[in-house]
Amino acid sequence: MLLCNLISIAIRVGAPRIVPTRGIPFPTGDPELVPEEERLLRRRLLERALEALGTAVEAPTVFDAPETPSGGGSAASSAATTAADSAATKAGAS
Amino acid sequence: MRIVHYVNQFFAGVGGEEAAGTTPDVREGAVGPGRALVAQLGSEYEIVATVFCGDDYAASDASATEELLELVREASPDLLVAGPAFTSGRYGLACARLAAASVRAGIPAVAAMHPENPGVEEAAPAPVIESGKIGREMRASLQRLAGAIEKLARGEELGEQDGRVGRPPRHNRLADQTAATRSVELILARLAGDRERTEVLLPSFGSVTPSAPLEHPEGATIALLTEGALVPMGNPDRLESARATRWLRYPLDGLDRLEEGEYQSVHGGFSTVAANADPHRLLPLDVARDLEREGRIGTLHHEYLTTAGNGTQVATARSFGVEWAAELRQAGVQAAILTAT
Amino acid sequence: MSATRVRDDEQGSRTGLRLLIHDVVEIGVGAQTGFAGGRLTVGEREATALFAHPSLASVRVSCCSPGESVRIIKVLDAVEPRCKGDGGDVFPGLLGTAQLRGRGETHVLRGAAVLSAGFLPRAQEAVFQMSGAGAEFSPLSGTHNVVIEFEPAPDAAWQDVAAALRLGVLRLAVHLAQAAVDAAPDSIEELEPLSSESSGLPRVAAVTNIQTQGAFKDVLVYGRSMAGSLPTWIDPCELADGAVVSAQYGHPALKNPTFVHQNNPVVAALRASDEVELAGVILCPEPVSEKEKRLVSEHAARLCAALGLDGAIVTKEGGGNADGDVALKLDALEDIGILAVGLFAEMAGRDGTAPGLVVAPARATALISTGNYDELVALGATDRALGGERLGIIDAAAADELELPIAAIYGSLNPLGWNRVTCAVEA
Repeated sequence: MLLCNLISIAIRVGAPRIVPTRGIPFPTGDPELVPEEERLLRRRLLERALEALGTAVEAPTVFDAPETPSGGGSAASSAATTAADSAATKAGAS
Repeated sequence: MRIVHYVNQFFAGVGGEEAAGTTPDVREGAVGPGRALVAQLGSEYEIVATVFCGDDYAASDASATEELLELVREASPDLLVAGPAFTSGRYGLACARLAAASVRAGIPAVAAMHPENPGVEEAAPAPVIESGKIGREMRASLQRLAGAIEKLARGEELGEQDGRVGRPPRHNRLADQTAATRSVELILARLAGDRERTEVLLPSFGSVTPSAPLEHPEGATIALLTEGALVPMGNPDRLESARATRWLRYPLDGLDRLEEGEYQSVHGGFSTVAANADPHRLLPLDVARDLEREGRIGTLHHEYLTTAGNGTQVATARSFGVEWAAELRQAGVQAAILTAT
Repeated sequence: MSATRVRDDEQGSRTGLRLLIHDVVEIGVGAQTGFAGGRLTVGEREATALFAHPSLASVRVSCCSPGESVRIIKVLDAVEPRCKGDGGDVFPGLLGTAQLRGRGETHVLRGAAVLSAGFLPRAQEAVFQMSGAGAEFSPLSGTHNVVIEFEPAPDAAWQDVAAALRLGVLRLAVHLAQAAVDAAPDSIEELEPLSSESSGLPRVAAVTNIQTQGAFKDVLVYGRSMAGSLPTWIDPCELADGAVVSAQYGHPALKNPTFVHQNNPVVAALRASDEVELAGVILCPEPVSEKEKRLVSEHAARLCAALGLDGAIVTKEGGGNADGDVALKLDALEDIGILAVGLFAEMAGRDGTAPGLVVAPARATALISTGNYDELVALGATDRALGGERLGIIDAAAADELELPIAAIYGSLNPLGWNRVTCAVEA
């Protein structure tokens, strides 16, 4: 499965299972977080990845980004989900 | 009509996966499925030579296509026929590349493979004819291919009705109305809710068949992959920062962490400062080991694969995907997690 | 349609532009410029006198009509003859001062065009012909054309030559239209002023990107360059009076001659539809850097939103680089909820199987194809040729039988939608 930031491109090239990341330069991290929180985020990304791997899909499917460990980034997280939702709807149509 | 037939090492009778490294070679006349093909065609057709190559060599060696084209040229054919490659990605890519190079060199060519074979998108300007999914569908596949060959011999263009797959050729013509008038009709249609209508399709990247879900991760071997160009500090194997033509593998055996200063990203497409400060931001080894220890996954694969996904040619990226999948499957890996930047 | 002559004192009461259309059915060079019964005579001495300039050694005036066996090579610009009824200037900023135009009355010689043809640096050789195989690919094979060939003065700077030629062509276009001012028009077009109140119909604007790459690759708005500017709204009637003039000589198939700005095809199609309301034209420069393209495109989208648009039709001038400007605008518009259609020529390779778009929009999907740039076209030999003796793009005499990519045919894949060429899978 694919952990990436540019969801629309991932959908366009047909990646079946996608989990959104916080930023292009750090797919499994976030330098804004303190180290313990970053590791926790990383763990949650990997757990979400396993969840995606265990889910049957028929077309490119975006799974929700994991919850923010704390503070900043929650807006980004829910924005990713929203974009993902409409993207997933479009993906269904294509 | 003089035909040269291209097949892989298996259909040439050399061997299976163990012979996938076979270098380009040629046999006189028809070999294997070529015999069945020529039996479907009339006596005016002859397979004068069969060129073949190991799938791994064809897929991974940059000069393979040129070498194969040389062998094709030497036989002076009227037509090159490549495949059928069914769903074999490496074989399909080899057929497609050879057919494309052949047409560009002035030798008409046609390739055959399953519509979902990654080779379909690589064959232009050569046409691709649909084949079945597996070798057992050889007879029907050859029948369709023979029909296409006969049409080509008559100088006709192949179309959807001949089993042609991939991007069909588009031609200029005069429409009834100007482009401006058509654009107003299109905006009206879009305003009325039609979001599909268009005269130009966005470039398509083919489709990827999703694998079946991973039922028991706790018993599975999982691989970590990254297109973030993560390499040992100093980039000893000289991975390119852009337009990569290679991928590399590095060991994870006995490692619980990727230490800062021992790894770096050489990706030219983003700022590597964060990744260099903590390589786990590209390859999550630390938490993967946690999950392994806790029994959430069975085993972490003993190495990771990497390349630089910066300005990579689509065709190259597609071949890497085919190669990685083959590589990991042979190594007994059940699932892979790819991080992208 | 009544052919009444409008008195001067009536003009001030209207707030749109009235076009008085005179149809040209015949053309020829003669002793004196005149227009009667549809026949346009181009006075040779009057015409050449309009090009008197230190940068031009001489010019030659010729005419050709649809169906004649003539090929024109090295085509530069094409202009529709127009003039104001009240003696004011069209092509403001170039002929006369840059005053706002687009009101009152304008006379149009429909079915005619003034063309310049010859060598200029950075010009890409453009070809079309009036009859025979391949004529149908250029819209100018259907107009009665006045062709101006020229010799630059020795030691004249090329930019000065281009400027002198441009002014001469514009002057000639006005001079010819003036010959029809006293004739009863064959038809009248009322270009209604745009309303800021909603009519209940969807509001759609033409977003017209223009090339802004400096010498020989620029498009002038009121006589000045838009390079470095942000997008601007402009009343389509101003375009009808020549506010936008081409000084761009590249991309034969993908250029917008002055003629096309005067007759913006997207504007005309929007006006002709009774299902949309024409909301105006947004003129945008085509920057050459990614960042600036993004700024211009996002600003254009915001401007469209401020205008309360429901939809926009986006066009360009140029090749793959300009595709980026269209793609960014389409995505920016769709992202803020304005539906968008883009016009693209495809670069699908000789056989039409390559992916058509160099830079495709990521999300917007409604695209009109103006044809495959790479496809070859056969041109039949003609009796005579204007614009030069030999071609430069391939080694051949100007009137020879030729095979060329359609990219070289003037106006063939016009990005503003002027022409009917499109690309499709063979049925």
